[in-house]
Amino acid sequence: MVTLELNQPGKTVLMMGDEAIARGAIEAGVDFCASYPGTPATEITESLARVADRFNIYVEWSTNEIVAFEAATAASLAGLRALVAMKQNGINVCADFLMTVNLAGTNGGLVLAACDDPSAISSSNEQDSRSYARYADLPLLEPADFQEAKDMTSWAFELSEKLGLPCILRSVTRLSHSRGNVELGELPEKKRTAKFDGIYISGAFAVAQHVALHQKLEQAREDFESSRFNFYVGPKKAKFVIVTCGSGWLYSREAVAALGLENKVGILKIGTTWPLPEKFIIDHLKNVTEILIIEEVDPFLEQNLKILLAEQAKTLGSIEVYGAKSGHRPACGELNQDKVTTALASIKGLQPKARDGKYVEKAKEALAYIPPRMPTFCTGCPHRASLWAIKSALKLDGRDGFVTGDIGCYSIGAGPAGYFQLKTIHCMGAGIGLANGFGKLDRFGFNQPVIAVCGDSTFYHAAIPALINARVNNSNVLMVILDNGGTAMTGFQPHPGSGCDALGLPAPTVEIENICKAIGVEVRVRDPFEISQAVQELYDMLQENGPRVMVFRRRCFRIEAKEKLQEKYYVDQSKCIGDDCGCARFCSRVFNCPGIIWDQEAQKAKIDEMVCTGCGVCATLCPRGAIMVRGAAS
Amino acid sequence: MQAGKSSSDLEQEVFSQDLCTSCGACVNICPYIKVVRDKVAVIEPCGLTEGKCYDFCPRTLTDIAALDKSVFGKTRTDYSLGPYISIEMAQAKDSEIRCRAQYGGVVSALMKYALDTGQISNAVLTRPFDAAMMPASVLVDESNQMAECTGSNYISSATLAKLNEAAKQGKDSIGLVGIPCQVIALRKMQSSKHETGAKGVKLVIGLFCTWALSYKGFSEFLKGKVDLSKVKRIDIPPPPANIMVVETTTGDVRFSLDEVRKFIKPTCSVCYDMTSEFADISVGMVEGIEDWNTLIVRTPAGKKFIDKAKKAGVLNTKSLEQTRLEHLKEASSIKKKRAVDAIQKRTNDKKNLLYLRLSAQEKKKFL
Repeated sequence: MVTLELNQPGKTVLMMGDEAIARGAIEAGVDFCASYPGTPATEITESLARVADRFNIYVEWSTNEIVAFEAATAASLAGLRALVAMKQNGINVCADFLMTVNLAGTNGGLVLAACDDPSAISSSNEQDSRSYARYADLPLLEPADFQEAKDMTSWAFELSEKLGLPCILRSVTRLSHSRGNVELGELPEKKRTAKFDGIYISGAFAVAQHVALHQKLEQAREDFESSRFNFYVGPKKAKFVIVTCGSGWLYSREAVAALGLENKVGILKIGTTWPLPEKFIIDHLKNVTEILIIEEVDPFLEQNLKILLAEQAKTLGSIEVYGAKSGHRPACGELNQDKVTTALASIKGLQPKARDGKYVEKAKEALAYIPPRMPTFCTGCPHRASLWAIKSALKLDGRDGFVTGDIGCYSIGAGPAGYFQLKTIHCMGAGIGLANGFGKLDRFGFNQPVIAVCGDSTFYHAAIPALINARVNNSNVLMVILDNGGTAMTGFQPHPGSGCDALGLPAPTVEIENICKAIGVEVRVRDPFEISQAVQELYDMLQENGPRVMVFRRRCFRIEAKEKLQEKYYVDQSKCIGDDCGCARFCSRVFNCPGIIWDQEAQKAKIDEMVCTGCGVCATLCPRGAIMVRGAAS
Repeated sequence: MQAGKSSSDLEQEVFSQDLCTSCGACVNICPYIKVVRDKVAVIEPCGLTEGKCYDFCPRTLTDIAALDKSVFGKTRTDYSLGPYISIEMAQAKDSEIRCRAQYGGVVSALMKYALDTGQISNAVLTRPFDAAMMPASVLVDESNQMAECTGSNYISSATLAKLNEAAKQGKDSIGLVGIPCQVIALRKMQSSKHETGAKGVKLVIGLFCTWALSYKGFSEFLKGKVDLSKVKRIDIPPPPANIMVVETTTGDVRFSLDEVRKFIKPTCSVCYDMTSEFADISVGMVEGIEDWNTLIVRTPAGKKFIDKAKKAGVLNTKSLEQTRLEHLKEASSIKKKRAVDAIQKRTNDKKNLLYLRLSAQEKKKFL
């Protein structure tokens, strides 16, 4: 936080990739930032929110990514510099606007920070967003380290302003979420005022605009030819060159060093991956006979480069290309040094330099100490109770009802944490969208009840049109909104129901139930911790037809537990009768909250007080009433 | 009773065969089986190979002779009405009780008397119209809490789930009013080797029952016709009327019984017991007489209690005419025959009577 504000040009500080992007925006004099939270992009906007007052930046958490992008574009059209940050799925939400704002053009610098999540560590998909740049004819920058994350962001604003186009900056989880050295630049004096006086209409002159867009892209290519973010390292007349970009740069350097090939293999590092700096690349490939292309996920650079090589066949001759297509690099999943070293070694006929001979053995030994763990809800998480209630109601109903899932913490309800209740998961809003369709299949003999679960933030983000659709088409769907009071999965950013803005200041709220009422659907609001009542009401609602909404409202316990002292629970082991109970260890085995453990010595249940947040739900479920509040009379 | 069967067997043999009576015997004894309205389900298999739930169920193996022995100490000689000491007509002396009750008010009067005199400390009763027409089982410990627990209802509530809950709270000396399937389950609980709250039940008043309606089907049927929240009382006047009268705050609505019969729980068709044969005392209507009940005293404990109640002036009694008694026996026998037929139809096997185990003599009479 302090480092973001430091006005000490030339000072080197440790920064997270997302912070470096934020700092780059600050050094470019960013005025406006609108985003929707999403891993790994969230910290860019959070960083800017922390210094919003200091640098007079307007920062908002928008309802969804396309709204964020449009809002940021408005600032650009008024002559300001604007940043919009999102994860890969957000780009898809923005796609419609992206494919028109490219034609209509922009004014002040507008940067879209697109943060991909290779290996889908915190995502519902693995996606390489770089294709959007080619698709939308927009310039694409790929920072390869923390310094570049900052410097490229600053430059992206200039570039955008010069071209009159949004500029896409692509990061990946490993860059966004790790830390490295960044040399700070100067903090600018901000002088811009907002004024709108142009015409930005896409459509009427779409073809002419498309022609102009291609010209702008050519202009970008010319700028890229001399960009300092494209460079070559290695021997002067290397026959073998690794062409790389983004996170591949550091892995490639490590791989070359690990195999001791510094004198034989060169590395051509490209920072501007669309459009390609063709002359720069041709110049560096003139004496080369083999290239290995190292990039993360799709063969984006690889395919574009192959087109260039084909076009330049006369000049460059025949070059052997290794990469994803040749099978030397996996085209899915996160890259790492091992993968790149293996690729390079196999081409060069080398054995990868062995680690300590016993490394693998030791690693296996160490693994044995790590207990196997399934993804689970936090202790005190309201979703556990909600999903138990849903499971119970569906089982009582007995018509093979099922749950269509959505994106949020509750997505892990597809696994044991949520008793395997979620049967579909796609993109945000898809749960209610799918349920809409299932709810109209009765004429084809379909009589299974459908519950669409949806988080509160997801409701505002993407679910409302589908709910309206369910209403007007009278679809048989029960929507259960799991309202935990914020965008919990990404770190509890506020949403339209939270009552505060990105800076934590009070803001008006838009109530979920009011929206539902306005749409004209029956809506009930209940506390999932009152499990019996929740089950009964869900069961009753399942018996009805048409669209219905149940809001299970209970604040995320991670937040609740921080804000106020929680009650301490314990198992009265004189009441718990262990395996004689007949409950078959319901609390620790089936309800499965990590706060409840099995006391091997006593052969009874026990609360892990280090982990328990004191929500008390288990106490209502124990058949012996053995789980008690400390200090309370039994 | 049969041992070695689990909740999964219960699910397979009873729930999925539409044989659950919603008596509630299997509910509130573990975290896995739940009831909502009159629907009972195993939410998650508990993984145990043997369960009380299975043993207690009135639709798992029920050996009539064995139950006779455990409740009465001897087997029956009357195959129509089961063991009994006396049968007569009775009504509550208190006209106020009679006025609120459907027939003679005997059940209300006896429970009030039992609570007031401390012969029981708690009573598990049914409030016929708790919410949206669904009855609710309630636990009371004073007779002034009984006000709404009067009158007939035609949907069964999970009375024994309430009993199990009461037992968990440590209640004993309990009086219970139940329909035949609930009384059978209660007796199975009492004769089980397991620890159960049913052992604290001191007085069992069984009601006559010919069938119960499924909440879902019947409420959906009524929903289009009356506002469920306004239903005050449901009555089936004695034959030959063949109608159901739904009294609401805005007036009465009548339906042909034929329309309503569609919603009878499938499990009622295999029920072998019309007069709550295993209760201490059984109470029902007297066909053709509105203000009186039939009162069957079955156990010595029941007799002792009724004698005291009579002495205390709680009841008016008079003898039940022979023709009426014959009529009652015939009605009960018809139900038994129909049940056996329905079971045989289900199993498609003359010898396979599902849950029912009959003595050779009984088989001779009803097969």
